[in-house]
Amino acid sequence: MKPYTVVLIIPTGIGAAIGGYAGDALPVARAIAQSCDRLITHPNVLNGAQLYWPLPNAFYVEGYGLDQFAKGRWGLQSVHQNRIGLILDRAIAPDLRLRHVQAAEGCRATLGLNLTDYVVTDAPLDVELRSSASGASWGTIGNTGSLLRAAETLIQQARAEAIAIVARFPDVDSLALEKYRHGCGVDPLAGAEAVISHLIVRQFRIPAAHAPALSPLPLDPLLSPKSAAEEIGYTFLPCVLVGLSRAPQFVTQPTHESIWTDQVDAVIVPESACGGSAILSFSQQKTLIIAVENNQTMMRVSPEPIGIKSIKVHSYIEALGLLVAHRAGISFESLNPSICPLRCLSNVL
Amino acid sequence: MTTHFISAEIDLQDNPLQLQKEIEAELEKHGKPLRWAITKVDQENETVQVEAIVTKQ
Repeated sequence: MKPYTVVLIIPTGIGAAIGGYAGDALPVARAIAQSCDRLITHPNVLNGAQLYWPLPNAFYVEGYGLDQFAKGRWGLQSVHQNRIGLILDRAIAPDLRLRHVQAAEGCRATLGLNLTDYVVTDAPLDVELRSSASGASWGTIGNTGSLLRAAETLIQQARAEAIAIVARFPDVDSLALEKYRHGCGVDPLAGAEAVISHLIVRQFRIPAAHAPALSPLPLDPLLSPKSAAEEIGYTFLPCVLVGLSRAPQFVTQPTHESIWTDQVDAVIVPESACGGSAILSFSQQKTLIIAVENNQTMMRVSPEPIGIKSIKVHSYIEALGLLVAHRAGISFESLNPSICPLRCLSNVL
Repeated sequence: MTTHFISAEIDLQDNPLQLQKEIEAELEKHGKPLRWAITKVDQENETVQVEAIVTKQ
């Protein structure tokens, strides 16, 4: 039987009502993973700072790699374990750096993860944050050379097979931070985080993911449950290391076990965020695209105006029903109270 | 290598594949596209707004 393969996309930094906070789309991923043989999704969905939930049939694929996968340029090769190299931004203060090294040590000792020795960048990465006209968060990196040199050292000298990066982020505008912590704003760091991991994946074609280093925040009694996972401890690193430990490798030639874009049966995406490269690519396949309306975002890109055929559903619960029917080979129309009668097609061409 | 944020307005195309190609061609005028997204569709003027990060050597 052909494995039923689903891709779940919730872009980062666009204020998604579900998945725009601290790993708050993880319950969606867990439910979808129960409804398919293989779930392909990305760090924004699975990362919950110190919280995570290993899903045996989930593939943790960074966004740049997911775009290449959707285009058919890269395949996904599952692994039993990756040796993870850790990059620490030189701008991280000594105490906070030590916290991150200890988090990595904890993941080795308690979870059995395989890490190489770590590298501190030869200069501060100089992350700058920005909010765009659309309301999305973006960012730029001042010292991309330092980032890429650190990754090269880990790959060549320590034989790292995946890269975790911890960058020091500038203090965030207090109003934006407050809104995020209260569960009603855009993650101000997310766009820059994606840029950091995209740079590594594009350059070295290996799995990568990022965790920000931040000074501890004062207690907030109004903290939203959706943001709470990021206020448990000193670092966001554990979920990244867990995800990377079994992230699939990227391959450019088909192998016996690799997964390619034409094997994807369904893609689930917020209805207002259909303007990403991956969705445009998947729309060229036979893939069922399910657009979820109640996961609202700052984007204004519905599928129809850009020529994407999709099925719209109100919620992820409804999307789960579609997946079950699709996997079982049941026509969606057959599940409705009334069914249009068959018509006789003209055989005149 | 440096990273740059850019925004661009691009004409809607007949199909998503052509739209993707047009976006990437436009971004390549500014550098090597790293991450991009259509953020808004203007159906009246048949254009899309794109935000992106590109890299330059």
